[in-house]
Amino acid sequence: MTLVIDGLSKSYGHVVALDQVGFRVEPGDIFGFLGANGAGKTTTMRIVLDILRADSGTVTWRGRPNIDLPRRTFGYLPEERGLYPRMRILDQLVFFAGLYGVPAGQARRDAVGWLERFRVTDLADRRADELSKGNQQKIQFIAAILHDPEVVLMDEPFTGLDPVNVALLRSAFLELAARGKTLIFSSHQMEMVEALAGAIAIIDRGRLVTSGPTGEVRRRAGRPIVRLAVEADPELAWVSSLPGVRLIRPGPHVSELTVEPGTDPQSILRAALARGGVVTCFEIADASLEDVFIELVGRSAGDGSPAGARAAVESAA
Amino acid sequence: MSGGHPDGSLMPNAGLVARREYVEKIRSRAFAVATGILIAVAVGAALIPIGLRAVDRGQITRIGVVSSDPAVTARVVDLVSAYLNPVPPGTDSATVRPHYQLSPQMDLASGLAGVHAGRIDSLLEVTIGSDGGLDFTFHGNDGPTSATIQRLQVATFGAAVVEYSQSLPHTGSGPAFHVPSFETQPTDRGSSVAPIDPGAMGSRTLLASILVVVIFITLTVYGMWVATSVASEKTSRVMELLISAATPRQLLVGKVVGVGAAGLTQYLAILVPATIVLALQDPIATALIGPADPGEAPLVGLTLPILLAFGFFILGFLLYAFVYAAAGSLVSRPEDIQQLAMPLSFVSMAGYFAAIFGMTAINSSAVAFLSFVPFFSPYVMLSRVMLGHVDAWEIGLSLALLVAAIAISTWIAARIYGAGVLLYGQRPGFRTFLRVAIRPDGG
Repeated sequence: MTLVIDGLSKSYGHVVALDQVGFRVEPGDIFGFLGANGAGKTTTMRIVLDILRADSGTVTWRGRPNIDLPRRTFGYLPEERGLYPRMRILDQLVFFAGLYGVPAGQARRDAVGWLERFRVTDLADRRADELSKGNQQKIQFIAAILHDPEVVLMDEPFTGLDPVNVALLRSAFLELAARGKTLIFSSHQMEMVEALAGAIAIIDRGRLVTSGPTGEVRRRAGRPIVRLAVEADPELAWVSSLPGVRLIRPGPHVSELTVEPGTDPQSILRAALARGGVVTCFEIADASLEDVFIELVGRSAGDGSPAGARAAVESAA
Repeated sequence: MSGGHPDGSLMPNAGLVARREYVEKIRSRAFAVATGILIAVAVGAALIPIGLRAVDRGQITRIGVVSSDPAVTARVVDLVSAYLNPVPPGTDSATVRPHYQLSPQMDLASGLAGVHAGRIDSLLEVTIGSDGGLDFTFHGNDGPTSATIQRLQVATFGAAVVEYSQSLPHTGSGPAFHVPSFETQPTDRGSSVAPIDPGAMGSRTLLASILVVVIFITLTVYGMWVATSVASEKTSRVMELLISAATPRQLLVGKVVGVGAAGLTQYLAILVPATIVLALQDPIATALIGPADPGEAPLVGLTLPILLAFGFFILGFLLYAFVYAAAGSLVSRPEDIQQLAMPLSFVSMAGYFAAIFGMTAINSSAVAFLSFVPFFSPYVMLSRVMLGHVDAWEIGLSLALLVAAIAISTWIAARIYGAGVLLYGQRPGFRTFLRVAIRPDGG
């Protein structure tokens, strides 16, 4: 009853795109798929959709191999958005749903319903090349889900949307999940993944780095974060002299510290009080997903530049 | 895709793709403009046999060719010369004495001076328009009904088509085909050519030539439509959505059928008025140039071979279109299609020339052989059906081979397409084409 991705490998010539990637996605889950640019997310999604064949490894959904499943099982929002530039929006949506086997009348009704829900009914008769980027993206999302697929794969669905549209898309995500649909999405916006995804997988240069329920990954992979504020001492210069404690985000009001495994976070509080300071804030929290990502991948999620990759190689060495 | 796969069947998806393609194409303005121009050309061409009743032919007619671009001049010399001096298959071209001798000239002034001095009989001036389209001016004393002029018109039209197909559309439908104009400018020298036997250049040969030219245009231009349409789906990135919704085979067949139906619509729009003119040829000819002389070759009306030719024509389109679609799937930008389509244009052109040359030796075994070879048969079998003697079994065998070739090319094209549509950023050449055909999954 699960989407099982098992031991996927794929090479293009000498370039290894995927190396033994495997993870599981539970039905009805919203699943975050994370990795820097070029890490292998798109290749994995294409293999799940069976528009690309892996060199080895399998994908099964509810126990059946994906290559035996009808294409309407899956919905896809590609990273590179694309619609027919000169075709009317409603016609395109009906056309794509038709390819998945949805009768035209039903596709038209459902498409209009989704356009209403995204507050863009006026777009129905417009041509795609007249639409703003954000609106194109909403249409692309509707195209991915109009045929009511069991599993929806979305490559960067939130990129380029304004906050109002992000909120609309989020509520659509939650509603689809409540209806039992399985959603897999990639994103560079870690707060979004933290807020929406019940489970995640992180992939780096074709290899799976970690996967599991979001909270568990944060606890397992990241060091605890301590938020600390001491009255009349914004610098907190003394902190770095404590063993196993590092100041990672100095701030004017509250600063964030990491604590090495084995070091008791309470020791920071004791040290602050021992110095006679007035502690106005002391909080122990799990590492944020952003921190976990940087810890595991060695660079920030949005940074796919060669410089970032080089830094990652150096820190790994 | 195996037969047991739930998405294995061609319908209804191929039908949906074909319908979308057809409607989009038919609605475009470029389509309407091109169709209108071609209708005018076809009606004009249908009137040519009437003009041919007053034909003439010289022993050796020396024609100079001049244009602002030496490369264009050279190509026009080659193409027109090849058309005017057909070499029977199996004979050495060096041993055949040409009726027409074409030579490039330095410039208009020296060319005209050559005509005055009697060094050449007439001068063909090629004007290259800003859109690359060609126009022709004939400097000579031949009247508009002379055989030289008539044949030159057909030959220059072919040359303009070849030039056009080399510079074809980069985005969308591209510029409409510029129909070359052909003007005659009298010079003050005496008539350059002697009259010929009117039956020698029968209207049947001319009609066959026109049909071969039309097939050549159709296969090249409509094939290019298919390739451009596939490539533009890659450029607009709509391809990734398509390929996750439908199989390569469904998309490919739908695309070829949709574009083919649009082409057929255009073709019928052209053919109907032209056929009416052809059917009314004798009355029109009688009205214009008087009744037929005894012994004069009859003008060709609507005949069964034309309908048979039509069948070859559609199958020929399917064969070429699948290969064009595969080529289109490999490029990231429509402007790169040229490079990949070039070898295919050569194959198409070879069939075209074989059919034209073959007309002078229509019952030779070389022509018979070529009329069975799939990429050539749409042209060559047409010539044979129009001009020679063909047995029913020969037509059947040729059709069967063509259908088999279509099946094979569909299968190969689907493999290339499935892998090609996900290839971006490369500038693929013919080698990529072969590599992907052999190992679609990269590796």
